[in-house]
Amino acid sequence: MDYLLDIFLISISAALINNFVLYYFVGICPFISVSRQVDMAVGMGSAVTFVMTIAVLISWSITTLVLMPGAPLTTWVAGFFMAPDGAGGIDLTILSYIVYIFAIASSVQLVEMYVRKFYPPLYKSFGVFLPLITTNCAILFACLTVMSHIIGVENPADAWDLGRALALGIFGGCGFTIAIVIMAGIREELELCDIPEPFKGAAITLIVGGILAMAFMGFTGVDSGIRNALMGN
Amino acid sequence: MNDNPTPLERFIQGVLPENPVYRQLLGLCPTLAVTNNVKSALTMATAVGAVLLSANIIISLIRNLLRPHLRIVVFTLTIAAFVTIVDRVLAAYMYSMSKTLGPYIPLIIVNCIIICRCEVVAARQPVTAAAADAVGQAAGFGLALISIAVIRELLGAGTLAGLQVMPAAWPRWVIMVLPPGAFLTFGLLLALVNWITALRRNKQGQEG
Amino acid sequence: MAPALKKDPAARAGRFRNSNLAQAWLVLVLAMGFGTALAAVQVNLSGVIAANQRNETLEKIPELVLGPRAATAKATTGSAIKTTSGTIAVQQAGKPKTYTVYRTTQEGRPVGWVIKAGGQGYADKIELLLGLDPSAETITGLFILEQKETPGLGNNIIQPNWRNQFIGKQTVTALKVSKGQSSEPNAIDAITGATISSRAVTTIVNRTMGALRKPLMLSKVPFTERQE
Repeated sequence: MDYLLDIFLISISAALINNFVLYYFVGICPFISVSRQVDMAVGMGSAVTFVMTIAVLISWSITTLVLMPGAPLTTWVAGFFMAPDGAGGIDLTILSYIVYIFAIASSVQLVEMYVRKFYPPLYKSFGVFLPLITTNCAILFACLTVMSHIIGVENPADAWDLGRALALGIFGGCGFTIAIVIMAGIREELELCDIPEPFKGAAITLIVGGILAMAFMGFTGVDSGIRNALMGN
Repeated sequence: MNDNPTPLERFIQGVLPENPVYRQLLGLCPTLAVTNNVKSALTMATAVGAVLLSANIIISLIRNLLRPHLRIVVFTLTIAAFVTIVDRVLAAYMYSMSKTLGPYIPLIIVNCIIICRCEVVAARQPVTAAAADAVGQAAGFGLALISIAVIRELLGAGTLAGLQVMPAAWPRWVIMVLPPGAFLTFGLLLALVNWITALRRNKQGQEG
Repeated sequence: MAPALKKDPAARAGRFRNSNLAQAWLVLVLAMGFGTALAAVQVNLSGVIAANQRNETLEKIPELVLGPRAATAKATTGSAIKTTSGTIAVQQAGKPKTYTVYRTTQEGRPVGWVIKAGGQGYADKIELLLGLDPSAETITGLFILEQKETPGLGNNIIQPNWRNQFIGKQTVTALKVSKGQSSEPNAIDAITGATISSRAVTTIVNRTMGALRKPLMLSKVPFTERQE
């Protein structure tokens, strides 16, 4: 019950309260360039959600099993070469960023090949966006958030398990999709308006994004309110 | 524009005419995220500059040995390694700033500016040209970040780099240091830059 | 003669580019080079970074148990404050919870306790350090370590004039947040427009005292020293 509440709060926090685009400013480049039409926006959002989930899965596994100090796989392998107490202290976290970016790049490649081969209609809807996603800040940001909840924690019992990490991945992607689809809807309407020349393109998108961010600020405190109400603190 | 600009010309191009943020619209994530005060903006600009310069130099040195297929892998590896080094150095010597900037330093890895410059310049030009381009783009990036940070910090907190500038009676526009302020400030400044560019183009068209 | 020489480095580079083995070696050499650089960084800097993380908390402790002016006075005159970090495990709401506690002594005499506590604030988690006198009867200091409250409103919980309200409060009764001045001894004046953040901090303090007051008053405190 406690666990489900935690998952629920992580999910709404990632999707609405601390929206990746409108609060953390990650994934701004596609937010500005791909949000012209709603169907393109939906395609981009689905691709990002898909890849984010897989990337978080891979990075959580690698962090917990290999990178973090005292990780099982590293300790086992090092046990062949050095004394057990020394093997337990190997800390590979300095390789985290390199490992994550390659994990993301490879998962994007694999997803693209797989979807193109086995789900052609799906590939038609979001496949073209997949190569652009490798340099999408949002995916790396999700992996870094998961990492900060595993490596920096004081109490090892508080480290995130796979369920919480996947909740962040899936609903972070959903939040990105929500933001980009809303923006696309607004921009489709803006096409019919008479926008001054200097504002056309990115500038008006940013200003609309600012108003959207203001609207989403209304969600602040919802997760702590729910937590207090349900836990009776 | 001649075909092969000199290193000095490349440097000047990077600062204003081909400004990575205002003209190329690259690297927008840190532009919005760390500009709520001037100190963070300066630190981020320096970090990006350091990574860009190092990556450009290394890539330019090995540019003739690289098969086109492998270049993305090598770019990514180089950039990620340098970002890790910069991140650790920052955590060791500027710990509180490192905590403020948080996840945005490792996000330099996917910063479009660096990959773009590696691809367009470093993989094709000798070391001096690549280095000059890197310094120019970094200077342009820093200029863009500081322009936004000055406005946001001045209006939002009344300070500039921590020093109180506005009178104490100034009602701080807190929205400026929050996410909406970032979007609005950058949007308005971008419109301003577009307007100035169009004016200059019209003037040149009329004279030419 | 000259054209043949000119072709040689370009031709060699071209062959290098086309050879799979050479490309693989290139990536391997690059990876090893960067790996060595990163290992050097790790060896040289990880100690500095770990010290930074520890000192962030440790340097606040004398001020928290002695008060700001007394801490600087003692630093210049007397012997140093010795801080030992450790943990106290309690049962809270039926679940075991471990608190990080710092015991401060000066020339062997206990000077006070500092407890690291955290909880949910308005926007995100709040982490704070609570300073107590050696008998755990009075609060001697409060410092906010981490918070993400609204700038300009809830953010003001980090301001010294708000935090100093906690100094001198007795721990025997729970603290209460009041809007506006209150004459009760255990009242904390809320920040205008930031009642929830003020309440969050007070709740964290109350919860911590509720859990740790009894253990800290025992003649033999169940303090487990942490090996750094």
